[in-house]
Parts: sequence; structure tokens; C-alpha cells
Amino acid sequence: MAECIFAFGQCFEGKLHPASLEILTPLREVADRLNKRLILIGLADDKEKFLAIPELKKLLADEVWYIIHPNLKHLPDDLCERVLVYLASEHKPYGIFFPATKKGLSVAPRVAGSLQAGLCAHVNAFEVKNGNLFLLRPTYGENIIAKLTSQRLPIMATLALNAFPIKEAEKEPLIKELKHPEGFDWSTKLTIKNFKPPKKEPSRLSVAKVVVAGGMGLKSKENFQMLFELAKILKAEVGGTRPAVHAGWVEADRMIGVSGVSVRPKLYLAFGISGAIQHTVGMEGSEFIVSINIDKEAPMMKMAHIGFVCDAPSFLKALLRKLKAKD
Amino acid sequence: MGRIVVCIKGVPKPGTVKVDKETHTLRRESAELILNPPDRPALEVALRLKDQTNFEVIAISMGPPNMVPLLQKVYALGVDDIYLISDRAFAGSDTLATSRILAKALSLLSPFDLVVMGARSIDGETGQVPPETASLLNLPSITYVKELRFVDGKFIAIREDDFGEEEVEFSPAAVVSIVPEIDYVRPPSLKRLLSLKEITPKILTNAELNLDEASIGLSGSPTQVADVFEKTLVSRGEIFEGEPDELAEKLIEVLKEKGFLA
Ligand SMILES: Cc1cc2nc3c(=O)[nH]c(=O)nc-3n(C[C@H](O)[C@H](O)[C@H](O)COP(=O)(O)OP(=O)(O)OC[C@H]3O[C@@H](n4cnc5c(N)ncnc54)[C@H](O)[C@@H]3O)c2cc1C
Repeated sequence: MAECIFAFGQCFEGKLHPASLEILTPLREVADRLNKRLILIGLADDKEKFLAIPELKKLLADEVWYIIHPNLKHLPDDLCERVLVYLASEHKPYGIFFPATKKGLSVAPRVAGSLQAGLCAHVNAFEVKNGNLFLLRPTYGENIIAKLTSQRLPIMATLALNAFPIKEAEKEPLIKELKHPEGFDWSTKLTIKNFKPPKKEPSRLSVAKVVVAGGMGLKSKENFQMLFELAKILKAEVGGTRPAVHAGWVEADRMIGVSGVSVRPKLYLAFGISGAIQHTVGMEGSEFIVSINIDKEAPMMKMAHIGFVCDAPSFLKALLRKLKAKD
Repeated sequence: MGRIVVCIKGVPKPGTVKVDKETHTLRRESAELILNPPDRPALEVALRLKDQTNFEVIAISMGPPNMVPLLQKVYALGVDDIYLISDRAFAGSDTLATSRILAKALSLLSPFDLVVMGARSIDGETGQVPPETASLLNLPSITYVKELRFVDGKFIAIREDDFGEEEVEFSPAAVVSIVPEIDYVRPPSLKRLLSLKEITPKILTNAELNLDEASIGLSGSPTQVADVFEKTLVSRGEIFEGEPDELAEKLIEVLKEKGFLA
């Protein structure tokens, strides 16, 4: 009982979502420490396409279990729930983990509801102590991390995006198809009438080498726009805090932090960002941090390798003027 | 005439949050509450369906008694009825316990055609409650909905997914969660604003819901906070003060030194 851990392997048309690879990195460690088998569960409509996924043979999982049914093409939430709940009731996993993709965030709560299990969101670290698993995530307030446990099995969580580096295994996992019993209900109440691939290119923020980010200290959308000019010169990507996104200064896919993306650039420039933990968990892996803030005591100033006590809009103006003059 | 139930939440006004030292959960009683911003477009979507198809719209909220003024404001937007789901026994609920409470309240309001919620709350940011509630009610959930129409007895939603955009068709009843991308939300009606004092929400306590106390509140929440700890920050770098011009010059120097600028 409870000797395996499930990881949700989200795939679509023969592509495995990179976030499903990311979550295997910490789960591998957890599985080793707790002596559990780590199993990636793949649901798909096409066996050949699934088996052709290039990463499959290098997964950190011990096993890959896949389930094929035509209705699984778009991974309808209700059917995914039924399939996973069936697997959970058959195999009684110790834990079930999902990447915090839209699909993961949509399916995990359904599974948790069905299994009456606790579900932690935004988990970005694990701790194993005396054979118990603790899930860590930033919580309300300035710089507080909460350490969570679950009173019941399976332990369930969605894991923050980009929070873990993808690693490859030396050994090939055992890959096997699971067949659901005769009479299993493969229906879904959702009919996909139309599907459009994304219009715009996804932002390259999460893999950028240089990130220029802005917060409320920039004061206005016009000031925030200057970051895009600076980004051009530094070949950087622009990011923002949640309030900056909510103010409409920058698009939601450029939000850095628990509710957005994580970045780990070589250089991170923070303009008027206080450094609340929900933000800093998304950028603390940065190699070199520069902060511009009028408040010397702001957490971001403490995190920074160099801090400039200065009005951020004026600093940006001066910086752009100088950089342009040099061209 | 069909029925739509909108689940809304009061969230602490950013900056007024207090955390209970013992349970490490949010103390909602003491915080100043505002309507969870993503719930505003959720209300708008429901009210647009009401305009088009004459649905009855009911707004419900699970929360402390200081939610009442917020519910009254929501009434002023044009909903037909407001309910507060409130009981001390509900306090400290995690998303599972919350979903149990909402699912039970919704079942008392059934039959309904649609439940609408905001995609996430800005205090918890989990977005778990809509699908979790749907699962407990054995209904489909459609998350991250940008657009919703009702055509020939069926709903059609445009929703964002990881690999693209889906147009999904589904029959009532279902639970949808709305992403805040709506271009326009209506102002409150003046007439309704003037009569607000007479409008009080109907209250549902656990006497009505009749849920086992072991399944709600803190004791009904499998997720427990084992510990909280503060990340202490020690200044690790150098701090410079001065005029923007000289500081910008200093930064350029450093960036050159580190090879980020030619
Ligand atoms: C559940 C939850 C999830 C969250 N998720 C995220 C997330 O993913 N990402 C995120 O960023 N936030 C998130 N937040 C919000 C987070 O807690 C902070 O509120 C937010 O990061 C603060 O953004 P900010 O630094 O832009 O604004 P503020 O905290 O308002 O800070 C502004 C800073 O600018 C400085 N300043 C003011 N004027 C000037 C000036 N003229 N020049 C220079 N500096 C100036 C101030 O000293 C201050 O340090 C979340 C919150 C919760 C509760």
C-alpha cells in the first residue's frame, strides 16, 4: 500500500508538457528518500504518437503508465478525473502530483474532491523528515513560508511552474500500457467544437538570461514602458509584479512569482519592486540581482547584490539617456 | 426560466491581512473585505446571460458576517437574490472543506443551470474551488473561460488551455470559472443602490446545510499547516545613494564589468 507516487504527465499530440518533466526532478528525490516508485501517468488518444515522445526514455520516473482512448485527445477534465481516480483506487498511491499548468490546475482539484484528499497549491519545495513528507509554499504576509502536511493519503499538490530544473535519467523507465476494465465509463460531458493553437508566441521570459522587471514603484504605465526600451538594449525580457499586471501595465504572462512564472536569469534588474515573497520565490534563483528602490529597507534591496536608493522612473530615464548616447 | 448561481468571495484588502498565529490561517473577521476582483467579471458574465436569456441570477458567498455590505453591493448590480453562507464551524476550511460547503449550499439552491465563479481568489490564488466543487456535485467544470454563450439550450465557452484555445460545448448544469478578461462591467443601478438597506441576504448556517462538523472547518481540512517560518534576509550587497545620473552611470559600469554591456 502507498508504495508509489503518481506524477501527471500532460501530453497533447505527441508532446509532453515540459512542466511534467520539471516536477519529476523533486519527486525523484522524494521517491528515493521515502522508498517509493515514481510513476508518470500519461493519458492520450494515440498510442504511436505517445510512444514517440522523445523524452520518454530519459524520464526520471521508474515507470510510465499510459492509457489510450480517443476521448482523451483534449484531456477533458471530467474524464481525466475518472481515469485518475480509478487508478488511485486500484493502486492506492502515496501521493499524486500535477504541474501547475492550466490542465493540472483544472484536473487536480477534481481528483482531490473525488478522493476527499487535501490539495496544496504553488508548492515549490519538499522536505522529508522521519518518513513524512512536507510541502513548502510561500504564504500570506511578507516573507513567510508555510510547511504543509496532509492528514490523509494520497498527498496531493500542484507544483509551481519553472521551479525545478529538468533532469534526465541514465536508466530507461519501464513503459507499459494500462487497460481499463470492460464497461469503464469513457464518456465526457465536454465537446470540443474547435481548437486553435496560440496566436502569439509564448513569452521567453522563463528562459531569459537577462530580466528587467518592474513593480508599483514605477508609478505609471508610461514609466513601465521604458522597461521595454531597456530590454531591447540589454537583450532582456520584461517581467512585472502582480500589482503591476493588475494595473494593466504589463501582460499577465509576464508576471513573475508564485502566481506567474519563475525565472533564473544571470541578471535581474528590479525597478520599484518591494520583494514580497510571492514575487521573490519566482526570481531568487537569479545570479546577480540589482534593485532600484526609494526604500533602503525593502526586502528586494536586501536580496540585491547591488541596490540603488533612487526614484525608479528618474533612474530609468537617466539610464536610457546614457545608454542611447553611447550608441 | 433557468437559474445561475454566482459564487463570490470577500478577500482582505491588500495590506490589511492578518494571520492567526495559532492556526496560520487568514483572519477574515479583522480584515477589511473587498470583492475578490476576478469575481467581478464572473458576475458580469452571469448578468449578460440574464439580459439575453432571462436567467435568474443568485449570488452566494461563504464568509463572515462582514460580507453583508459586499453582497448588498452585488445586489445593486442586478442579481435577483443574495445568500450568505456563514457559520463559525466553517472557519479555517481548506479548499476541500470549502468546496464541500459550497456544494451543499448549491444543492439546496438546485435546480440550477450554471454555477459561475472567478478563476481564482487573490488571497489564496489556488483556483481550486470551482473544479473541486464541481467534482463534489458530479458536474463538469470548465475553467479559464473567456467567453460564454447560451445557444439552443447549450452553453458554448471559449477557454484557454496550455496548448491553445478551446471552444467547448456543454449542457446544463455545469460549473465555470471566468478569467478576468472582460472588456466592460456594468455599474450598479442607482435605483437599487437607494433601496439597499432593505435588502439583506438570506443566511444559510450549518443548521441548514447540516454537514458533519468533522468534514468542515479546520477539522475537516486534510491540509494542515505544520509550521511557518520566516525567510530572514541579510543584506548581501552594496547600497548606493545619490542622484539618478551618477547612480545610472554606476550601474552601466557594473553591467560592463560583468559583460552584460559591450
Ligand atoms: C496568494 C498570493 C499570491 C501572489 N502572487 C504574486 C506573484 O506571483 N507575483 C507577484 O509579484 N506578487 C504576488 N503577490 C503579491 C505580493 O504579495 C506583493 O503584493 C507584490 O509582489 C508587490 O508588488 P510590488 O513590489 O510591485 O508593489 P509594492 O509592494 O507596493 O512595492 C512597491 C515598491 O516600490 C517602492 N517605491 C515606491 N515608490 C518608488 C519610487 N518612486 N521609486 C522606486 N521605488 C519606489 C516601494 O518602496 C516598494 O518597495 C501575491 C499575493 C498573494 C496574497
